[in-house]
Amino acid sequence: MSGTGGRTLLTVRGLAKRFGGLVAVDDVDFDLDDGEILGIIGPNGAGKTTTFNLIAGALRADAGSIRLRDAEIAGLPAHKVAARGILRTFQHNRPFKGMNVLENLLVGAHRRVRARPWAAALGLPSARREDAALAAAARETLAFVGLGDHAASDVSKLSFGQGRLLECARALMGEPAIILFDEPAAGLTSVEAERLGGVIRGIAARGIAVLLIEHDMRFLLPLAHRVVVLDRGAKIADGTPAAISREPAVIEAYLGRHAGAAA
Amino acid sequence: MNAKLAAAIGWLAGAAILAALSLTLTGYHADLFRKLLLTATLAVGYNFQFGFAGQIAFSHYAFYGIGAYAITILSTRFGLALPVAALATIGLSALLALMVAIPANRLEGFYIALATLAFAQLFVVVMVQGGDFTGGPDGLFGFDAPTIFGARLAGANFMLVVSALFLANLALFAALGRSWFGRACRAVRDDPEAAAAMGVDVARTRIAVFTLTSSLAAVAGMAYAFADNFVNPFVFGIDAMFVLLFMVLIGGAGRHAGAVVGCVFLFMLPEYLGDLVGRFHLLAYGILMVVVMMFLPNGIIGLWDRLAKRLRPEPAR
Repeated sequence: MSGTGGRTLLTVRGLAKRFGGLVAVDDVDFDLDDGEILGIIGPNGAGKTTTFNLIAGALRADAGSIRLRDAEIAGLPAHKVAARGILRTFQHNRPFKGMNVLENLLVGAHRRVRARPWAAALGLPSARREDAALAAAARETLAFVGLGDHAASDVSKLSFGQGRLLECARALMGEPAIILFDEPAAGLTSVEAERLGGVIRGIAARGIAVLLIEHDMRFLLPLAHRVVVLDRGAKIADGTPAAISREPAVIEAYLGRHAGAAA
Repeated sequence: MNAKLAAAIGWLAGAAILAALSLTLTGYHADLFRKLLLTATLAVGYNFQFGFAGQIAFSHYAFYGIGAYAITILSTRFGLALPVAALATIGLSALLALMVAIPANRLEGFYIALATLAFAQLFVVVMVQGGDFTGGPDGLFGFDAPTIFGARLAGANFMLVVSALFLANLALFAALGRSWFGRACRAVRDDPEAAAAMGVDVARTRIAVFTLTSSLAAVAGMAYAFADNFVNPFVFGIDAMFVLLFMVLIGGAGRHAGAVVGCVFLFMLPEYLGDLVGRFHLLAYGILMVVVMMFLPNGIIGLWDRLAKRLRPEPAR
């Protein structure tokens, strides 16, 4: 099932994670295509965050595979997952506080850097040219997310909503194949959330696949091409936003399983 | 282009001033000058380790001592030619740095402080207990200044070499600091998990910084050995290490100019304080440091930034 008809980029099969006796993620399968916006939803404790962390390399799966194109990435540490082209944002914005906005974006470009350490240490022209090119790209990216006036700002000067846009811009700087968003609308005003939705659509329009876990259905349903619904660690639905909102299993998970069980 | 030209003029002017001082200072002032330059070289490296990469390590003076002892022992006891002894010293200090950094980096921040503190103490103990090999508590002395290309490494020649060493360290860390590597270091300092999420290999970055800065401290130590042709274990103790930390903090951690300013300030302060307040100079020194750290969280350079901002109009965006 695909929302965009693009090539399959990420293939998740049989993903599982348990914490002691608790099965947080139980045999989850899904695909993610080029340029697709895929939402993962589910009630509290459904395993959304665990799934996110398994893909991002923050946690190690107990079983299952995560393939980026044809390469297995399950079990790689976070920095290697990022180096392969899967970058993430943080739900509670985590900028590098000792650096200005532009420098934060340049850290995001880490995986694109080609200059060797000694070239950097000697300040060789090749390293400086690369730096200047990345800084120019960073200014474009800031303009794209709507922070064009804040390149030299201290990150502490940004509002929470602007901080979320900085998270997007920093991840974009790595020219990722996939960006993972961890509850991107959390804590935003409706105006800010709408603006962020526009940025996410723009990211997908660039051919970057977007995977987001989200609580807020009013934010997610108009945005996602496809939605995967998790409940108690397992996938209970996978389809277009319109299709999954009609699924009895989804309605039951969201409206309460007692009502469902009695019926 | 203008900024580039200004930077080039700044470096040339700095080099010219250091060269002029090297050629004119004599006696006590020459001694102060070369020790100040060596300490400033250490401060610039330590600022990178502590201020840029956020490693709270206490082994910088120990590596300074390793450089001083190794070059002296290798060149006088083993009779190695100076360049060979120097390369061997750098190799040895890099190896020791890796041996400290790799296990310490598996642990978290606090343990790096403990591991390096233990290493620094161990170094002094080993040097004191080393018998004839290390000279014991008396240290090593009575060796000659080496000769390079027919020039004896003493007096003005020595000061020129130390000036070049200081400028080379400053240039290296300045270039590194504004490069992708410096940004990766600061990212690791500010938020290791977020840095890893951007593809930065946190452990490798930490190990690389520790090994580089420690090895360069050893290089400065090699020069120190020939400052007085005298190497004493207690010079490299933990007291000196804390003064170095205060230099970086008071100058402004994370800023190269801050490290240099803080070093000059704390290095020269006792020279004048003694005359001013007599035998209370240590107390005055301590109070001053507490006051500066309480009221100038970004150090002297932070104060300078604030003044400069007030004098200049806000730049147009």
